[in-house]
Amino acid sequence: MSLIELHHVDLGHGSHIVLPDLSLTIRRGERVALLGRSGVGKSTLLEMLRQQLANQVAWCPQADSLVPTLSAYHNIYMGRLEQFSRWRNVINLLRPFKQPWQDINALGAELGLEEVMRRQVDQLSGGQRQRVAIARALYQNKPTFVGDEPVASVDPHQGARLIELIHTRHETTIVALHQRELALAHFERIIGLDAGRIVIDAPSHTLDPDTLDALYQTV
Amino acid sequence: MRFIRRYNSATPRLIDSIVGTNIGARLMRVSLGLIVLTLIALPFADLAITTRDPWSELGRMFVGFITPNILATESPLHAVLLTVAFAFWGVALGILLGFPLALLFMRSRLVRVGCAFVRAIHELFWALLFLQVFGLSAITALAAIALPYAGIFAKVYAEILLQIDTAPQQTLPQGVDRLSRFLYTELPLAWARLASYTRYRFECALRASVLLGFVGLPTLGFHLESAFRQGRYHEAGALLWAFYLLIALLPFWAHRRLVPLWLLGTLFLLGPWPTVDGELLWRFLSVDIWPQPLLAGDFKGLALWFTQLPDLLPAIGNTLLLGLMSTAGSLVVCLLLWPLASRHFGQRATRWLGTGALIGLRSTPELLLAFIFLLLVGPSLLPAWLALSLHNGALIAFLAARHADQLKFGMPGLKGVNLYAYELMPRIYPGILALLFYRAEVIIRETALLGMLGVATLGFHIDSSFAYLMFDQAVALLLITALLNIGVDALSRRLRPDALAPTIERTCEG
Repeated sequence: MSLIELHHVDLGHGSHIVLPDLSLTIRRGERVALLGRSGVGKSTLLEMLRQQLANQVAWCPQADSLVPTLSAYHNIYMGRLEQFSRWRNVINLLRPFKQPWQDINALGAELGLEEVMRRQVDQLSGGQRQRVAIARALYQNKPTFVGDEPVASVDPHQGARLIELIHTRHETTIVALHQRELALAHFERIIGLDAGRIVIDAPSHTLDPDTLDALYQTV
Repeated sequence: MRFIRRYNSATPRLIDSIVGTNIGARLMRVSLGLIVLTLIALPFADLAITTRDPWSELGRMFVGFITPNILATESPLHAVLLTVAFAFWGVALGILLGFPLALLFMRSRLVRVGCAFVRAIHELFWALLFLQVFGLSAITALAAIALPYAGIFAKVYAEILLQIDTAPQQTLPQGVDRLSRFLYTELPLAWARLASYTRYRFECALRASVLLGFVGLPTLGFHLESAFRQGRYHEAGALLWAFYLLIALLPFWAHRRLVPLWLLGTLFLLGPWPTVDGELLWRFLSVDIWPQPLLAGDFKGLALWFTQLPDLLPAIGNTLLLGLMSTAGSLVVCLLLWPLASRHFGQRATRWLGTGALIGLRSTPELLLAFIFLLLVGPSLLPAWLALSLHNGALIAFLAARHADQLKFGMPGLKGVNLYAYELMPRIYPGILALLFYRAEVIIRETALLGMLGVATLGFHIDSSFAYLMFDQAVALLLITALLNIGVDALSRRLRPDALAPTIERTCEG
């Protein structure tokens, strides 16, 4: 069953079209990696997916979209902000509620964040921040994970582990990446964007690193 | 002095935004225009020295300053604590009023106009107004600080909130309510800047609280004024030292964690509380402050009433003249004094003294400085001119020196005038001029205020109208003062170099 179907649509911001005449189908249960140089339209595509799928999607933005002056706990809690009443949210800022505190700590333990739950995000390392962003997405508990470079600043080994964790928690995963090896090893389908078009869309076992390298050649 | 550090971090951005466009020539034109205009206007200013022997008086003041008598003032601790209490609670009430307005500020023109208006009238004029209804009471003191500060907080908080990074908000799940969104993204992102601006404002409130003594409230300023006026310079010296100590030790005693304690502790000091006569208050608001012909619907009479306002044109002229002279004076003072506090010039001892002098001049309220000069040279525009130029010039010079100290440059071995003229001034001058034009609004507001000392600006007539219980006239003059302020602010906004970091404004709004 398809999760999303696009037929000849123009994607962009306002009148600025980034991806013209785009056709794409993504089915439920797929593991999709999105590759391409920066500025090629990956974020635009993800943004569209996020809007179309609305409440079914757990959104994992780049780590610099966290609130630097709040603790890791509060940043993760924000994933379910809409599910609690506003007054509960206010009180939780002052003193965490027991249930979310336990849930989020359990989640943090899986991601190696148990030591830093109370620490402000701007005092965390780049890798830790990225894991906080992932934890927030996991906390949303949605069937589909959409992420913009969720493992950009962690080492390859840890990146692989995080991707697997994301896979086991979500029915569908759609992620923008720049690590080719990670995409080949841990995703079933790879979509390569270049110059506003989809230039590669194939199962990952039919692709090799050299083919993918072509995406990053300067024009 | 945290807000100074904040200025430093903003400076490179400021300079970057100016260099690159060919703005140097424009800055030069504006500066020369300012100086020439001042020189042309100077003959119209009354700069007479009317006292017989200002120098020996200055000597006696100096002796008093270096040999203070701390036991001369009756209950000095109470005066200090009351000064602090008014500042704390004035700011707290200002936040309570201003913060909700900040949330409406960008959406409501009415709020913006209202805030511009309450900001444009100096704390002391508000005090004079409230004094008529609430007497020498805590309400007068608190309202005089809280009301204009609410207007300032509303504007500055709104600007800070407007500038936060919006990326975190966009990543929130759909359907998050407004309050949660504000508390989880906007507020934490803006918190550091809101807090540091509030800290800076508290220091301003402390100065304002001292000044409330000049209208009779028993803060430090009250004792300062009477000590100076009666020539008890040893006592005045002790009070001045107490004030400087209060400002210098601010980071310690007014630490964030101690604020709730101070608020609770000083609550019992606030007073006296007046018995408000509702009938009298209503009469004041509905009858006293309005021109009689207006209430009677007699428009011909209103025109006549208007012509009877005392010497309006000379007063406005003097206000603008003094404002212009003081802006130019501040520029000259700054250009002369900033090297005193910079690492590029002098030795350690001269720098230490220079920095101390600049901080001292900056911390002393203008009104107090003007009052001291007034005792020295008698009532004319001269003491006001000196006070405003020295205070504001020192303030800008201090920031300019900090900016210069951060600079690294290519030509080694340059010294003295060459270093000043070729390496440093071209780099820091745009910043100096930007600060000066931000300061211009403050200068014009202070200019009106100095009228209370007998200088023939608008404030002089406001003060005497209140003294003669002509409230309609006083309020009309206050309105004119506010409009004048708003006009000057608009003008200086047009003149100053474009695209300035907004941090600067908060640093020197005062």
